[in-house]
Amino acid sequence: MQQPQWWWCAVKKWGYLVSRLLWAGVATWVILTITFVLMEFTPNAQYAQLQFSAAQSGGDPEQALETAKRLRGDTGTLWAQYTEFLSNIVSGNWGWSTYRSQPVTEALATAIPWSMMYGVPSLIISTVLGMTIGLYSALNQYSREDYAATLFAFMGISIPNFWFAIILLVFFGTVLNWVPILFDTGVAQNAAGNLTLGGVFSLANLRQLILPVVVLTTGSIASLMRYSRAEALEYVEADFVKTARAKGVSDRMIVLKHILRPASIPLATLLVGDLLGIIFVGSYLVEVVFGIPGLGTLSYNAIINQDTALVFGTIFVPTFIAIVGNLAQDLSYAYLDPRISFGDDE
Amino acid sequence: MSTQTTPDATDAASRNDDVLLSVEDLVVQFDTDGGTVHAVDGVSFDVREGETLCIVGESGSGKTISCEAITRLFRSPPGFIRGGSVEFDGTDLTSCSDDRLKEYRGNRIAHVFQNPQGALNPVYTIGNQVREAVELHTDLEGSAIRDRVVDLLGEVGIPEPVTHLGDYPHELSGGMKQRVVIAMALAGEPDLLIADEPTTALDVTIQKQILDLLNDVQERHDMSVIFVTHDLGVVAQIADRVLVMYAGKVMERDDVFDLFESPEHPYTAALLDCLPGSGGLEGIPGDLPDPFNPPAGCRFAERCPAVTEECIEGDQPPEYPVGSDDHTVSCVHHAPDGDPGELDGVTGAIGGDES
Ligand code: SF4
Repeated sequence: MQQPQWWWCAVKKWGYLVSRLLWAGVATWVILTITFVLMEFTPNAQYAQLQFSAAQSGGDPEQALETAKRLRGDTGTLWAQYTEFLSNIVSGNWGWSTYRSQPVTEALATAIPWSMMYGVPSLIISTVLGMTIGLYSALNQYSREDYAATLFAFMGISIPNFWFAIILLVFFGTVLNWVPILFDTGVAQNAAGNLTLGGVFSLANLRQLILPVVVLTTGSIASLMRYSRAEALEYVEADFVKTARAKGVSDRMIVLKHILRPASIPLATLLVGDLLGIIFVGSYLVEVVFGIPGLGTLSYNAIINQDTALVFGTIFVPTFIAIVGNLAQDLSYAYLDPRISFGDDE
Repeated sequence: MSTQTTPDATDAASRNDDVLLSVEDLVVQFDTDGGTVHAVDGVSFDVREGETLCIVGESGSGKTISCEAITRLFRSPPGFIRGGSVEFDGTDLTSCSDDRLKEYRGNRIAHVFQNPQGALNPVYTIGNQVREAVELHTDLEGSAIRDRVVDLLGEVGIPEPVTHLGDYPHELSGGMKQRVVIAMALAGEPDLLIADEPTTALDVTIQKQILDLLNDVQERHDMSVIFVTHDLGVVAQIADRVLVMYAGKVMERDDVFDLFESPEHPYTAALLDCLPGSGGLEGIPGDLPDPFNPPAGCRFAERCPAVTEECIEGDQPPEYPVGSDDHTVSCVHHAPDGDPGELDGVTGAIGGDES
């Protein structure tokens, strides 16, 4: 008999989970190391500035550099710097942002809520709508609705986010005057400049978030639609769906039991990993166009101002989210797909 | 075109009482972006109670679609039944709503498909999937359902079925999966089992086992069977009667012994010539005609060594009766005014140099 023993199932399952966790750790380490190497090769704007002024005032640029490095603790062997860098990152000491004059982590902490304000709704809307439309399309392939959805999806994919954002701003902000053109952070904050729950969910704040959400959603919903359509189609045409039909299963149960359940496995993959990617990439331009002080704007400004520590900080956040997202994906896979997880019974 | 061709009306009437399924002039088309595929183009056949009808043909001959049309299993769109009738036990299934059809699917008419690898849903245990069929087609409740599932799995030769209820399809071999599919098919105690190339994807030894199993359950449950295959070797083992299809048309039909002994249609003859271990039908030179634009005249004309002017005009030649009542051949040379002698060298020796 081929039924594996229960303990073997457990070993397999836990082995899989542990290997996934280890991979997440290794991926993180690789990314940190690459970052470190890049930083080593990046000319430090501050040091360059120091050397420049030292030279201007007749001093020795090299010596000025040495002094500055010693002051910043930026000496010692490469290995020592590397280990210190790693331990700093792990302990949450992500360096000092010169442009913001505050620790990088603090700058990130102020920016992230702004990104979430439009990112999370957009994530939810595009997931729910995208998958629903995609599945509907698949089940009604070649129908008028299917063609309409396809057309919409291709528009969503091909229209550049920033252009769409500007057009929407011009139309709804300037022509119709329905939404503010300038993003006002004040409406979500109290007098001390801290975000408040009431402020975040205030009408004024929600109003200025509508367009960013729309823009980001049209960008990400399209690929979700196409993907879930393709995925579901694969199952709509699967032999086992025909078996179910021949068995006399009702159409509704075929969709729910025989198509959605197996299709949910690859869709879980798309959801966490790729979607987060789409949203973070999209957020750059959306934030810059709308003037939202989120992660995208922060990263953009950090680059413009050559604020190396902050640039890496703003890159770390989405990177780590992607790693955690991938991990979550693998785990959900193990849960959903019997071909990976063993030991479930009937 | 085929009104004058159905085997003698009187004979058909006298046999009517034991005819379980009667497919009449069936037309099935698929609307695709590339145009309309004429998959089945006016096909008629009967299945009598307890008999095994084999439908033989290459892929693209329309044999599978003909079978799926019986309970409308193909997706629609793109597939549509554009003509004809499918009378099962006195009811025309083509005019039934999908809801009505559900009373037949799996219940009175069951299917076994070609590819056991894909025929089971990968995310459910086999116990769960057989149970689904039992729940749909019986009034059993509670532990009786489980008992029935175990019985069914036992009947199709799964050893120690209780221990396998929790197995997922990927844990079973192809032959075992096909057994599970057959168990599901038996759940509703069907009158008609349609087996669409059920052994093609399996190893030769397993093929034999599955064929034996099918023979077995047919006898035990007193079912009629439609067996679709491209393998004439299999046909010889199991068929009572044979329907030879080509490009959506019926070429020849006959009792299995007579057909093997004296094929009258050039296509059947070619099939038989390719038989001994030559890997099926590749031996016949040429391709199937364009399914979007079937040519005028006989569909087989392009590959037929006995082709004449007459063959490429009008429609597919009617199915002319030959000899016994059960034997028809769609070939101009068998027309009342034709000369079967034209086929003398052909039905005997066609393809001899290829095989
Ligand atoms: S009708 Fe003509 S082409 Fe067709 S099988 Fe007969 S001889 Fe050949």
